[in-house]
Amino acid sequence: MMKHLLISAALSVVLAAPAFAADVDTIAILTPEQGSDYGWNQQGVDAAKAAAEATGVEIIVAEGLGYGDVRAPMREIAADGADLMIAHASGYNTAGPEIAEETGVAVAIVDSPDALVPGKVADYTLSGHEGAYLAGRLAAKMTTTGTVGIVVSGEPPSWNSQSAGFAEGVKAENPDVKILYSVIGPAAYSDAAGGNRVTTSVIAAGADIIFGQGNGSSFGMIQAVESNKATDGSDVLFIDVIGDKSELDKGHLLTSVLWDMTPVYTAMIEDLKADKFGTHGYSISLADDSVKLVKTPQVDEKAWEEVMALREQIIAGDIKVEPKFEAEDVRALVTVAE
Amino acid sequence: MGGLLTEAFLSSLFTGAIVAAIPMLLAGLGEQMSEKAGVLNIGIEGMMLMGAYMGFLVAFKTESLWLGFLGGILGGVLVAIVMAVLCVRLGLNQIVIGIGLTLGVEGLTALLHHFQFSRTYPRLPAPERLNIPGLTDLPVIGPSLFGRHLIVYLALIAVAVLAYLYRRTNLGMTLRAAGERPAALDVAGGNVLGIRVFATLFTGGMAGLGGAYLANIGAGLFIPFMTGGAGFIGIVLAMLARGRPLWVLIGSLIFGAALSMTTALQVAGSNIPTDVIQMLPFAAVMLVLVLFGRRAKLPSALGAAYERGAR
Repeated sequence: MMKHLLISAALSVVLAAPAFAADVDTIAILTPEQGSDYGWNQQGVDAAKAAAEATGVEIIVAEGLGYGDVRAPMREIAADGADLMIAHASGYNTAGPEIAEETGVAVAIVDSPDALVPGKVADYTLSGHEGAYLAGRLAAKMTTTGTVGIVVSGEPPSWNSQSAGFAEGVKAENPDVKILYSVIGPAAYSDAAGGNRVTTSVIAAGADIIFGQGNGSSFGMIQAVESNKATDGSDVLFIDVIGDKSELDKGHLLTSVLWDMTPVYTAMIEDLKADKFGTHGYSISLADDSVKLVKTPQVDEKAWEEVMALREQIIAGDIKVEPKFEAEDVRALVTVAE
Repeated sequence: MGGLLTEAFLSSLFTGAIVAAIPMLLAGLGEQMSEKAGVLNIGIEGMMLMGAYMGFLVAFKTESLWLGFLGGILGGVLVAIVMAVLCVRLGLNQIVIGIGLTLGVEGLTALLHHFQFSRTYPRLPAPERLNIPGLTDLPVIGPSLFGRHLIVYLALIAVAVLAYLYRRTNLGMTLRAAGERPAALDVAGGNVLGIRVFATLFTGGMAGLGGAYLANIGAGLFIPFMTGGAGFIGIVLAMLARGRPLWVLIGSLIFGAALSMTTALQVAGSNIPTDVIQMLPFAAVMLVLVLFGRRAKLPSALGAAYERGAR
């Protein structure tokens, strides 16, 4: 009996080992494009570096890995000693959990809130829908043609949520404003020519403010905004997301829904150390400034003040902006032909 | 459907169709000459991509779109020279070399972009438009069809010039002979390899110009892999056109319209799911292949290296 008790005790110690706090010495971030795109990739890399510095861990940055099979670089990074791999692309959310299972290294993925595996796989499907709502209010205040456009290079949940937030903001401000919506392609994240073509078409259809979400294709959208006049002859304005392209602006950037992912990555590292990794999702919000609007010279001062007052109301809970991650929800909010 | 045929829908459709069609038209016209001469130029995608890179680089450095177009032509020709040496002069497999060239150029241009532009993403200023008096003011189609950059009209003129060249000139006859009966051309004193090299370089130039259009007019910047298969569609257009430049034009407009339709339907607020709308261009390609693919007449000696005296 005593022997069985000792064996049981020994086994319980062994089996309970994974529940002990993990050491985190090195994290890695893997991005599909270079971390210099003033958008999704750059914000991810910068935030991962900041989180690493804040928590005192080393960081491996693997940029420009493309949108294809990322298994080989993930295996290499796992072999290099990473304790956490941040797979910073929705296209990586199939390979990520497989590699986590294969190597035992924790992996963070996006756009898969249901894929959580305690200790192994966490999801950070983020949404700046509150900021997008404010951008929609601002756009509806400033449009001169009465038509605004949403151009996206895909329909991942994060972007659907922001598109829906923007459309809700426009409608809340002025229900008469038309909202045109167009997707460049199934996964046209780096299709700059497509971004230009689609945005040009949306402008030709009457939009004078474009809310664009597109990684590399955003630059095509911006070029179209700079190259075309609105149907009423006014300048077209652009609302960017995630990153800050102010230093590249030629007078057409109205604002950007800026994301700061540092708190998210920092929380991931802390969760991994506390053995809570993979047990819950992460979010960003206006309240902690991880989502905020960029003010540019193109913004009307009075409109900005009104929007900032709305921001306070959202933070206080007086205005509720719920995330909507499905593409159908976005289409239900945009202008439909009779 | 009646609700879709709004001014917004039609403006969006025509605007997008022209922007999308021109690169495919230029690439298709180039490929057509190559195929007429018997060279299956699979490397056209790489030539187009190099044209996009060189076209943007030169336009950005010189602040001249026209010098940019020349740079694009030069970029396409540079890749075509490799193709001509390996496939025409040395007689290596045209498909293998073509694929290899495309992959190589994709990697090279992505690397060059990384070192030169990936931190600054420079953009070109808006291209000047040539408004055709009386036509630009037409409602809906006016600005879309008659307010484009001069290069668009030159591309359309090229269709007529090439049609004349193929039907009415000795060069056209020689090109056809090189693709149909190279040995007969050789016996008659023609230079088979010379005309094939010329056709390959012409293809490179046209594909490079198409790439430069894509970068300088279509996007206003260069992004790695930005041709997105436009060169391969050019090959399909050339094959379906049965040697006629006008058919390349029609085909490119159909593909351009199908591509633009994906935007126009969405802009018009169609209730059709986006995934279905995005399938339209590919469905159009398959439909055209089913309808006309079997009738496509290709030169007898297409893809076969010519060696004097070989049987």
